[in-house]
Amino acid sequence: MKSFGKKILTTLMLAGVTFGFAGRMEAQPIRVITTTPELADMTKQIGRELVDAESLTRGVEFMHAVPVKPSFVPKLNRANLLAHMGLDLEVSWLPALLETAHNPKISPGQPGNIDCSTGVSVLDVPRSIDRSEGDVHPKGNPHYNLDPLNGKIMARNIAEGLARNYPQHRPVFEKNLAAYLAELDKAIARWQAMAAPLKGVKIVTYHVEWSYFANRFGLQQVGTIELKPGIEPTPNHLISLTQKMQQEKAQLIIFGPQSDRFPRQLASQTGAAVVRLQSNAGGSSETDTYIKFVDFNVRSLLAALKKS
Amino acid sequence: MNTAVLNCLFWLFILVPAFVLWRPSSIMAQDEIIDLLKRQMAQMQATMKEMAGRLEQLEKERASANGKIATVEQSVKTIQSAPSALNPAIGMAIDMTAEHRANAGADFNFRAAEISIAASIDPYARAYAYFTGSKDDFEVEEAAIVTTSLPWNLQARAGRFFADFGRLAKFHPHEYAFVNTPLSLERTVGGESQADGVELSYLFPTPFFLRGTMGGYKKMGAENERIDNTKARAWSRFTYLGRLQTYFDLSDNHSIELGSSLAFTPSVRIPSDPEGGNRTLSGIDLTYRYQPLGSTLYQGFTLAGEFFGNSERLERGAGFRRMFAPAGYVYGEAKINREWAAGFLYDNAPSLASPGKKTIGYSPFITWSLSEFNRLRLQYSYLADNVREDKSERGNQFFLQWTTVLGSHSHGFRTR
Repeated sequence: MKSFGKKILTTLMLAGVTFGFAGRMEAQPIRVITTTPELADMTKQIGRELVDAESLTRGVEFMHAVPVKPSFVPKLNRANLLAHMGLDLEVSWLPALLETAHNPKISPGQPGNIDCSTGVSVLDVPRSIDRSEGDVHPKGNPHYNLDPLNGKIMARNIAEGLARNYPQHRPVFEKNLAAYLAELDKAIARWQAMAAPLKGVKIVTYHVEWSYFANRFGLQQVGTIELKPGIEPTPNHLISLTQKMQQEKAQLIIFGPQSDRFPRQLASQTGAAVVRLQSNAGGSSETDTYIKFVDFNVRSLLAALKKS
Repeated sequence: MNTAVLNCLFWLFILVPAFVLWRPSSIMAQDEIIDLLKRQMAQMQATMKEMAGRLEQLEKERASANGKIATVEQSVKTIQSAPSALNPAIGMAIDMTAEHRANAGADFNFRAAEISIAASIDPYARAYAYFTGSKDDFEVEEAAIVTTSLPWNLQARAGRFFADFGRLAKFHPHEYAFVNTPLSLERTVGGESQADGVELSYLFPTPFFLRGTMGGYKKMGAENERIDNTKARAWSRFTYLGRLQTYFDLSDNHSIELGSSLAFTPSVRIPSDPEGGNRTLSGIDLTYRYQPLGSTLYQGFTLAGEFFGNSERLERGAGFRRMFAPAGYVYGEAKINREWAAGFLYDNAPSLASPGKKTIGYSPFITWSLSEFNRLRLQYSYLADNVREDKSERGNQFFLQWTTVLGSHSHGFRTR
């Protein structure tokens, strides 16, 4: 009788544990870690209450020099999915963290690793890969998020990544994706109308990250402040850039998370307007979603153009 | 008049006024319809124009994408056909100094040419190796296999590697913020914590970073020459390690990293001291970092230090005695702008056998990074030395260091 009682008790405990786990699994949202705030924003829009998305970066960092913080390790360790920009944007910090995170299911090539650059028409693919050309990206320019049409590709990749790993929720992800894409399409039409005055405007950028944006809104890139990607300018380079800007009548100098020292120096010599734009969403309430972030960049450029 | 004519007249009287009354409203309605149609046509024309524009843009993008896809496919085919497609990532660091030491003279010091290779082995492990040639010798500095998919947050490592003791002992010298290995580290750990053996680390499932490591090695310390690394010996004469390491973000821009390590050798026997005894080397490492997220390229500050305590039987006078020697260093380095950084190193290194005798080092340094891969550094050191073992570790010293990295080169998480 005693052993029968024990059996019953054990069965009840096992059942309790099983149902407890099942209950927990049902209730727990999908933990998605993203490398940038716009990817977290899109994941929230597409996954809604099914996901818990968090970005490792705040959106103000220079993406090629994000500090490798050990506090990122437990987040990656517990993540169900990882969404990243790809094209080696995060190459200086993400691989080192993934090596330490003990989470093979989000390793490159695994279903839990969502590369949001899949399907993007890549610009600035280098003709030769040699560091005499600076800190080149062998796969091409990774700042494709600056073109809002690529935002649609990023959203689709996230939805596909979520559905690939959680097929039972596919209809929900697809429905939310359609709603998000419709919202984004409306915003794109608005930006294209707003950005009409930008067509043909000649610009100088600090780093070669604005190609996609320039391509979408018809801006013409005249040169970069950096001598080569990742290499600060020499005095000679600044002199020849000043001359080129004067010849080409460049109107705007665009920079991001870099120092404003050289942009202001060039502006004082050429009369061009200086504008600091955001390379990624996040950083402030003005840019905390992807749509607000593109909106901020378009509006900032238009405001700067009026001043020039 | 017949009935038919009357009927006709009747309908004429009814229909003509009706037509007259009806016609203007009909014309007005038709005008409105025409206006509406014109507006719709205009809208349709605008829409079609916009659609045509978008179509043209899409076609352009598609053509450009197709061109690029063809190029990429061609490159992929070329790569796939190359027999070296699965070669590991290869890199090299070159580290040299021009130096003048008041008590030892001048030198062009070829410190290291370090060739690194790394790749995944299979889904379960990866491997890496560093081969270092210097003015003295050429050696396998590290060559280790690391597991990548052990369950329960475990990771195993085996081979020759820098044991997980403290912080700076795991750096290759060209990665320091200053020129030389602190003497405190050199005398206690033996420079880099190089060891032949095996290690198991565990990442605790805590919301903050907490990692523990256990290891067993034949010996620890690249320059620890008190023990012969080539001979087999009893397990009791191996070195066993335990380490705990944690990290906290004080805010987005400020962080603290803390570690404690213990390396225990149950029985150290050297020929002149057959009695032997155990050796305990303990260490605490603390690193504070200020990394303003929006300007990490231009600003930053690191304050880091380590304290070591070595307890072992060492030759003193005519016999052997157990001695405890505390040692340590602390340095601060501030980023001045994107290319320049400057700092100061304080080093307190006692003789292990006579802890009362010390070498105290003071070293200001300034670093110019021409790019991420090319760096020049100027350092002045003053060593107040009463250990009197090596005249090169005394007095005024000047160093100009040039370090470059080419190819693929990353020492990963440990040297962040």
